[in-house]
Amino acid sequence: MPDGFEERDLVERAKQDPDAFGALYDRYFPQIYRFAYSRVRDQSLAEDVTSEVFFKALRNIKRYTYSGHPFSSWLYQITLNAVADHYRGLHGEVDLEEGSSLPSTAPAVVDEVVRRDRSRRIWAAIDQLPRQQRAAMVLKFSEDRKIEEIAQILGKSSGAVKLLLHRAVERLRRELPPEFEVGLT
Amino acid sequence: MTNDPELEELFNDPADRAVVDLLKASRPAAPPLDPHFRNYLRAKLMTEARQALPARAARSWFPFTLSQKTLAPAMAAVAAGFLVVLGVEIYLHGQTEAPQVACVCTAFNNKVDVGTGEPIVIPFTGPVDKTAVAESVVIQPATSVTKQWVGQNLVIIPAHPLAANTAYSVSFKPLATPTPTPAQIPGVKPTPAVAPAPVIVHFTTVRPPVTPIVPPSFKSAVVNYGYDSRLADPGTILSAAWTPAGQVLVTRPVGQLGPGSSPGPSTSATPSGPPTPKATTDVWLMSSLGTPIRILVPGGSLPAAAPSGGLIAAWQPTQGTQVNLGVWDLQGTPQATVATVDGVPDRAPVWIGGDRIAYVDQGRLRVVDLHGTQVSGVALQVGHGRLAASPTSQRLAVEGANGPVILDLRAAGSPTSLPSGAAGFAWSSKGDLAFVVRQSANTDIKSANTDLYVAADGQSFQKVATSPDGQTWSDLSWSPDATSLLLATTATNGNGAGPSLVLVNRDGSSPTPFGPSSKEFASPQWSLSGDLVLFTRRDEAAGGRAFWTATTTPSTDSAANRALAAVARFMQARISGDATTAKAELDDAGVAAYQGGSSSLLGPGGVHFSRYYPVTVQPSGSKPNAFLVGVRIFSAKNGVESSFFEEQLTLVPQGQTYLIDAVNASPTMALGHGPTVVSVEVVQTPPGQQVRVHFDSDLKAGTITRDTIQVKDADGKVVDATVTFDPDNHLATLSVKLPPGTYKLVVTTGVTDVNAVALAQEYDAPLVISR
Repeated sequence: MPDGFEERDLVERAKQDPDAFGALYDRYFPQIYRFAYSRVRDQSLAEDVTSEVFFKALRNIKRYTYSGHPFSSWLYQITLNAVADHYRGLHGEVDLEEGSSLPSTAPAVVDEVVRRDRSRRIWAAIDQLPRQQRAAMVLKFSEDRKIEEIAQILGKSSGAVKLLLHRAVERLRRELPPEFEVGLT
Repeated sequence: MTNDPELEELFNDPADRAVVDLLKASRPAAPPLDPHFRNYLRAKLMTEARQALPARAARSWFPFTLSQKTLAPAMAAVAAGFLVVLGVEIYLHGQTEAPQVACVCTAFNNKVDVGTGEPIVIPFTGPVDKTAVAESVVIQPATSVTKQWVGQNLVIIPAHPLAANTAYSVSFKPLATPTPTPAQIPGVKPTPAVAPAPVIVHFTTVRPPVTPIVPPSFKSAVVNYGYDSRLADPGTILSAAWTPAGQVLVTRPVGQLGPGSSPGPSTSATPSGPPTPKATTDVWLMSSLGTPIRILVPGGSLPAAAPSGGLIAAWQPTQGTQVNLGVWDLQGTPQATVATVDGVPDRAPVWIGGDRIAYVDQGRLRVVDLHGTQVSGVALQVGHGRLAASPTSQRLAVEGANGPVILDLRAAGSPTSLPSGAAGFAWSSKGDLAFVVRQSANTDIKSANTDLYVAADGQSFQKVATSPDGQTWSDLSWSPDATSLLLATTATNGNGAGPSLVLVNRDGSSPTPFGPSSKEFASPQWSLSGDLVLFTRRDEAAGGRAFWTATTTPSTDSAANRALAAVARFMQARISGDATTAKAELDDAGVAAYQGGSSSLLGPGGVHFSRYYPVTVQPSGSKPNAFLVGVRIFSAKNGVESSFFEEQLTLVPQGQTYLIDAVNASPTMALGHGPTVVSVEVVQTPPGQQVRVHFDSDLKAGTITRDTIQVKDADGKVVDATVTFDPDNHLATLSVKLPPGTYKLVVTTGVTDVNAVALAQEYDAPLVISR
């Protein structure tokens, strides 16, 4: 992870210097693209979202002020908004927090168990979690963000993020196929 | 159990912890990624950034940037390469009529400072007729290309890097996919289809550095780490090395995307015989920005670029368990198979000059020529040791099984022994050999250290520095001017810190950190031009190591730069039409020269100067401390450059600055009619000189001869010269041995491009040979 001072310096320069903005892009493209893909599961859509994130960042970077959180938190926030905008466009505003539970797709997960390795199985299961839980899990376990930072990205309190993570893990435990339990013990 | 305190606090139940541990131990699979998307988006962003962030957007790409203290930003942009992106939208008006196609080009048109090493990407929206569009592409100046569709993007890959400082035009017809004809749609009258007008987009490539009279020094204290950029995700490049032209040769796992790649695993070509072992890697050519350019060796691994450019050597599986050592050109065309070995090689071959290759077979050193003939007298047991060849002589440094030695392939006799434990050999461009020796006296690994040796001209070695206690040095790489070394330093005191990079002068003085100390860097390789460093870096997010490049910029403060600063002020004022400011850069003789008609200050007859760049910087032959600066000045009509001429400006010192004292102007030359000379450099190569003439076009090599490119003395007599041609860089080189004096370069109209179009008119330029 970039050290804070160096990152702040680079961000400040990027407000004036296109090449510094290019350096920020080089630094954060992989994780933003990865995060976008984790949310939309479609390459073309992930490209669209990633483009939107960096163009929004460029157009608003002069207004960005350091708040004690990494610059990437801001990019993750923009990513979440871009993904939400996309789904709003498709379905109207839908809160998936209390959406369908895993069993409807459990057979697919079972298939995964048969033909894929353990890592892929559990991440496939995470894909089936409700939207906010999934975001929190990806940020914590794929992007190694701190809870406070996740809270800032999701616009929630740290306590709420802890609850999301806790519920997600409980849900994985409860709803993963029985044979998966063997791998957990 | 997890070591994340947040998670430990949050999950107390052992069953929850088991899930958390599983999650921590696993990562989601890397998402699929179009290899061009990252660069394409970057180019689009940078185009907007240069408009939206104007404070520095007008910065010159010329390395002697006058308003900046260092070259870092300009060279960063060069490093970024600037993917050429031409955005095109296709609108179809009504599906019931023959398709009416209109095109809207994005702001890229008339873009300047475009990098030379990147493919040209034309993104399309709408149903495009891919075959017809690709066939309609025409590029001027003449440029050999291959074309490939990647999704909706047409990727045009120049066979060689584009010429610097050159105005290009790309013309193509935006043809839509044929829609049902009116006859097929009941009730619709047929409308004749109209062929779309070609879209023509113009762009101008970057200014390359003009070879300075006093080259910039890569002394450790003045070299800056600039902007860095990752070539690719961890695990997708397994080895990487520079080519002399500044591209990167890489080994990639099979199945990686890019122009010319096939979806399935690679296999090596075997027309008959036993099945080929399944290949796991391919050798690719990649831009310094990480754009895959083309696959060179399907199934290949561990490539090495010939120092003379144009060729590579690599390993490629053949029948059974055998592996060929082959030679390919940079188009991926096989040139020769020079050896076959059993088993999988574990290190790259090593070029010795341009015509011999060293490799290790079953732990034994072998050297072959390009016909596959083994060179005798070099039998040596090597084991796992490293080889390195001098670029200036036929010498090879070898970590032999019985000790490190230098072999001289031209001289009979025993090898020269090096200190016991010598390893990590690196030869400089001047023939100096650097290596490290781990101190054996110190048995406590926590306080281990390393001695750095330099053998001047590879002859007599001398210890020049010792690493601090608790650190070892490795991975040596010379700066291009052989004044400093980059190396990796690793702590051995168990503090968990990864390696980082250090610059140290050739004499061991002034060790200086290179790059952020918090990063884990290793395996630095300086590019031959010195503007980039390739290295590996641990990926903080995904784990593993990835290959990165970073810009590196030495100080260039010199009298020649002050003269160039005066030229820049003068030329910017002329381009702006500001005669008063322009005259402020002239002394009395200079004012008289322009008033006397030697040249036109603001352009004759309403012609507008649109652009300029320095072609040459030389010491003036006639005046002490004065410089002769050649500038090429372009004129534009309706925003499109149509002609150019050159001025030879004499600059004399005036206090701390320089004033223009005299001017000589060439006739005006039309653009767009055959190849054009882009720049001329005189490089001292004792005991003689090289005159390097860069062109903008792909040339017919057969037209570059002693009759078409000449150097003439003051009496107009042609001097003896050897002429060579490097098609990769559009570069003709005349090797001469000239006493000090003033000469003239002449390029005749016998030079033609690959389309047989000749130089529009003879080109002359003065050459000053100084001591």
